[in-house]
Amino acid sequence: MGFPNPGGGVGWTGPAPTPDGHSMDAPWFAKRPVSDVRPGDHGWLAYAGAEERDRVIGTFVREGLRHNEKVVYVTDAPADGLPGLDRPLDGHRIDVGAYTRIGQLRVISRADACLDRRGAFEPAMLADTLGRELGGAFAEGFRAVRLTTDHSWALSGPGRADLAQMLGCEHRVGDTVAPSTMAMAICQVDRRTCSGAELLALRDTHEVLIEVDPEFDDGVLRIVRTFEPHGLRLEGELDGARHTVLAERLAAVNRAGRRVHLDVARLRFIDLGGLNLLAQHALALPADEALVLDHLAPDVENVIEMVGWRRLPGLVRGAGAAGGTEDLGR
Amino acid sequence: MTLDHAACLYGGTDDFLTVAVPFLRAGLEREEVVVAVAEEPNLGALRDVLGPDGGTVAFIDSAGFYRHPIHTLRDYQAIAKESAPRRVCALAEPVWSGWTERQTLEWIRYESLINVVFADTDAQAMCMYDTGRLPEDILFAARRTHPGLVREGANNAYVDPEVFAAGCDRRLTFDRPGHAEYTAIESADLHRLRAFVAGRAERHGLGRQAARNLVTAVNEAAANALRHGAPPVGLWTWRDGDTLVCEVGDHGYWRAGPLTGFVPPASALHRGFGLWTVRLLVDLVELRSGWDGTFVRMHVHR
Repeated sequence: MGFPNPGGGVGWTGPAPTPDGHSMDAPWFAKRPVSDVRPGDHGWLAYAGAEERDRVIGTFVREGLRHNEKVVYVTDAPADGLPGLDRPLDGHRIDVGAYTRIGQLRVISRADACLDRRGAFEPAMLADTLGRELGGAFAEGFRAVRLTTDHSWALSGPGRADLAQMLGCEHRVGDTVAPSTMAMAICQVDRRTCSGAELLALRDTHEVLIEVDPEFDDGVLRIVRTFEPHGLRLEGELDGARHTVLAERLAAVNRAGRRVHLDVARLRFIDLGGLNLLAQHALALPADEALVLDHLAPDVENVIEMVGWRRLPGLVRGAGAAGGTEDLGR
Repeated sequence: MTLDHAACLYGGTDDFLTVAVPFLRAGLEREEVVVAVAEEPNLGALRDVLGPDGGTVAFIDSAGFYRHPIHTLRDYQAIAKESAPRRVCALAEPVWSGWTERQTLEWIRYESLINVVFADTDAQAMCMYDTGRLPEDILFAARRTHPGLVREGANNAYVDPEVFAAGCDRRLTFDRPGHAEYTAIESADLHRLRAFVAGRAERHGLGRQAARNLVTAVNEAAANALRHGAPPVGLWTWRDGDTLVCEVGDHGYWRAGPLTGFVPPASALHRGFGLWTVRLLVDLVELRSGWDGTFVRMHVHR
């Protein structure tokens, strides 16, 4: 007798992805911080820039190296320039050569991993490459294999692979990873290199959306960096015990010199001190700048409407589910 | 700039119109922002008499405008701010029926607060009191809360708002039933306290919004007691008929002035924002400081 299948039927009630202006809400996706990636995950990262990519992939690579897992990076970039390898790990400089020699770090060129002899993109090859690395890993003493590659090159420039080929490649990788108890993969794409429709089609071949690790998470409040738009996502409840940590994170994102957006779609509670904190932060901004609150949830919006936006100078309503709003970002 | 806040004691709709119509017409002639808040049938009669002249008058039914004194003060202030730099000319007829004795006291206090909240505006407000319908104590209070009395010349009965508010507070009683439930508040992390209050609100049958507002209000009172008060800090909750009462107490002595939290702060960055918002969020807030500590009592009606 089998277990009841929680994923079956239409009544699945897992967390819907936060509206981020790019992903259409599709409840069958899991959104997962990169440190929570686990075997069987075929993950997707459509990054907005190098900072986001390096923070996600850097963590993915470093955690593999730290936990005796094999890291397979398909790229034409030199190994010592890959995300995450430029900083010390547990206090020690990362010796790329040593990790490479013992086979824990495998940097495989695109030609070897996914191009045919004539240099054309071959949809079946990446999954085969992964299968090969996976097959040897256990005997080599690694408990898992992490694969990542950036598809942006294949989707842009001359000799661009067509979408159907890419989708075929992704399906095969997914078919290899999903049933595995050892394999994890993150497929990266620079979202600026694809159309929205292409991004959605590619994303749909993955089960897991990977994002940065939260800046803070104590089970009540969760703070996650966002990159497009630039800012923070707040989830849960903000109260006096958590003002300091938010103030620090706000100050940090503010240093980038870009307009800061707070995605508060999942902020269920904000205390009055929290409103004061946001207003104080906005006060410190240049006169023509503003702190943008995106996707206000009704409970938080109600408190703001009660006191009046006029009493929160420098805070503006950004993108939102409610009608009649305007996106003031960028 | 000075506020012109006067009461007009009238008898019946015809008399109402005799005073109200010239008042509003004068405001229109001075090209002010003219607002008429009145009860029916007076409101309809005003519309009829003013006819096309009343085209730019904002007619507002008192029944919707006077539901919660702190909200009404906020809304009048918003009208004044949005009208600036134009002067506001307001005819106002508060609602005096349907309130408990306790609520009536807050509406009387409200009339006195108008003098403070709009002190630095040049607004003109005439408040209408129907001598035929209103009880003597409300008419008496009108003389004490309005610096001016229409048609009566000098008003020697007017009382300074701070003195008046202190007098209102002296009439309050602070009994707490023996069956009140006590919860200690020891940690700055108020997550569990919020869950507790939400649970009591649900059990009492409060609507979702009222429950969330109560949670925000209690959280603020508790955060304030933890920050400025002295331990022990705790929450008492009890039910009084349709009312759920939450009282946050600490062992400190906060000498709050009688106007504390009644005057809308200019922004969230100004002093008093927290308590003022607490007053907005629940139906009634009462403050008490004494030998046994400082207490913020919040009432929400089902």
